[in-house]
Amino acid sequence: MRLINAIWSDIKFQIKQGFYLVYLIITIMYLIILSMLPENVLTIALPLVVFSDPSVLGLFFIGGIILLEKSQGVLMVMVVSPLRTQEYILAKAISLALVSAIAAIAITALSPINNVNWFLLILSTILTAGLFTLSGIMINAGCNNVNQYMVKTIPYMLLFVLPSFSLLGFEYSYLFTVVPSVAALRLLLGAYHGIIWYEALGLTLYLLLMNYIFFRYSVKIFENKIVYQD
Amino acid sequence: MIEIGNLEFTYQNTQKKAVKDMSFKVKEGEVYGFLGPSGAGKTTTQRLIIGLLRNYSGSIKIFGKERSSWGKDFYEQIGVAFDFPNLYLKLTPEENLKLIGAYYKNGISDIPTMLDRVGLLPDKNSRVESFSKGMKMRLNFIRSIMHNPKLMFFDEPTSGLDPVNAHIIKDIILEQKAAGKTVFLTTHNMTVAEQLCDRVSFIVDGKIVVTGSPADLMIEHGKRLLNINYIKEGTEHSAEFDLNHIGENEQFLSLIKNEEIRTIHTCEATLEDIFIKLTGKNLQ
Repeated sequence: MRLINAIWSDIKFQIKQGFYLVYLIITIMYLIILSMLPENVLTIALPLVVFSDPSVLGLFFIGGIILLEKSQGVLMVMVVSPLRTQEYILAKAISLALVSAIAAIAITALSPINNVNWFLLILSTILTAGLFTLSGIMINAGCNNVNQYMVKTIPYMLLFVLPSFSLLGFEYSYLFTVVPSVAALRLLLGAYHGIIWYEALGLTLYLLLMNYIFFRYSVKIFENKIVYQD
Repeated sequence: MIEIGNLEFTYQNTQKKAVKDMSFKVKEGEVYGFLGPSGAGKTTTQRLIIGLLRNYSGSIKIFGKERSSWGKDFYEQIGVAFDFPNLYLKLTPEENLKLIGAYYKNGISDIPTMLDRVGLLPDKNSRVESFSKGMKMRLNFIRSIMHNPKLMFFDEPTSGLDPVNAHIIKDIILEQKAAGKTVFLTTHNMTVAEQLCDRVSFIVDGKIVVTGSPADLMIEHGKRLLNINYIKEGTEHSAEFDLNHIGENEQFLSLIKNEEIRTIHTCEATLEDIFIKLTGKNLQ
């Protein structure tokens, strides 16, 4: 019950702070750009655009959300309330995954593309959003302003984004799938281009495990750097 | 309610020993004031009790159980109002209370009644970002008591409030006390401490230097004198008399019988006098 309340609180906070409006504007912009692309480019561009939503945007959104909560002091209020750190973090991850999934569905549904595996699309978007939101929480725990967050985000971005080029395909390039963002992008591409069932299952299980590890670490880091100030 | 024994705490990053061998008890149903200059260790002690700092030595027992063995359920039973307003600025007062109130198992008090009590009902639909500091502090205060906690921690609860609103907050604290609740109050405001606290402790350099009821401390640290201001032949005069055997003091008796008295005051110390005396260099 507390978790559901926390998710609802986060959604409300994100709406009031204008995050959803930004999401809507970006989604419309994406749609306009995608509509101008030829079909052969669209099949590559669409998954990348959908992927950028929970990943790059997600990372900046979670940074902004936590910095706003810090600056308004409400993080301290939650710390001295019965809300558990796990619930606080899960609520953030779920609320952002939800909006990412909605954006992914909207962008895909409004684009001239066929044969989409909607289940895989939603699943991969949620798992990607989880990874990046949790990373954002880990990065943000030690930051007090936007500049610090931006600087700290760069190495994470490079670590997550650069290996994604392995999807272009070269010898042993599949090994890069060990990087969670590559696994997530592979699963998402599978939603558009098709994927063998056991590869999808393997990627899903791997991403679930990575989400779990990221979650445990983010709880630990959040407690050490935000809850306790010793 | 709270039992602190030989409490010590050192900040890891600065290696500053902020709390030194501190022991005190807060009884159920009392308003206990923690007074001292900035940097004396008041906030650190409060944070240790609330559970925002770990790795202390000594003991902090609350509700009969060591603080370190309490989980998050502890926060169902306590209310905390920090000395700065921490609110969702884009939300209305009602939304702010509902949002945090949703985390408590036992629910919260009636929101319009609470808002009305602190004069915020007319602004219930305005965003908090348009509020003055005083309005935010009042909202902050009712949020800390909305879930009916047994024990409350207030840090400078009247800071930024005009006398009328400060009076309302002080009245609510006294109502909480009358309802059997316990209050741990941290303040610089000696008038607030004098008006509200059953007992106060003065903290200097991480240690408690004195504890007692405000009335007892004021007598103990004051002078046993009576000061009289009177008018004689059109001009104002003053005289001081020893309180001991004052009823047999002929000069005093003659003065109050024959002269026009303007004021009579005993010379007990104010908490402010005690604060300055105890935190002055001669006691370091």
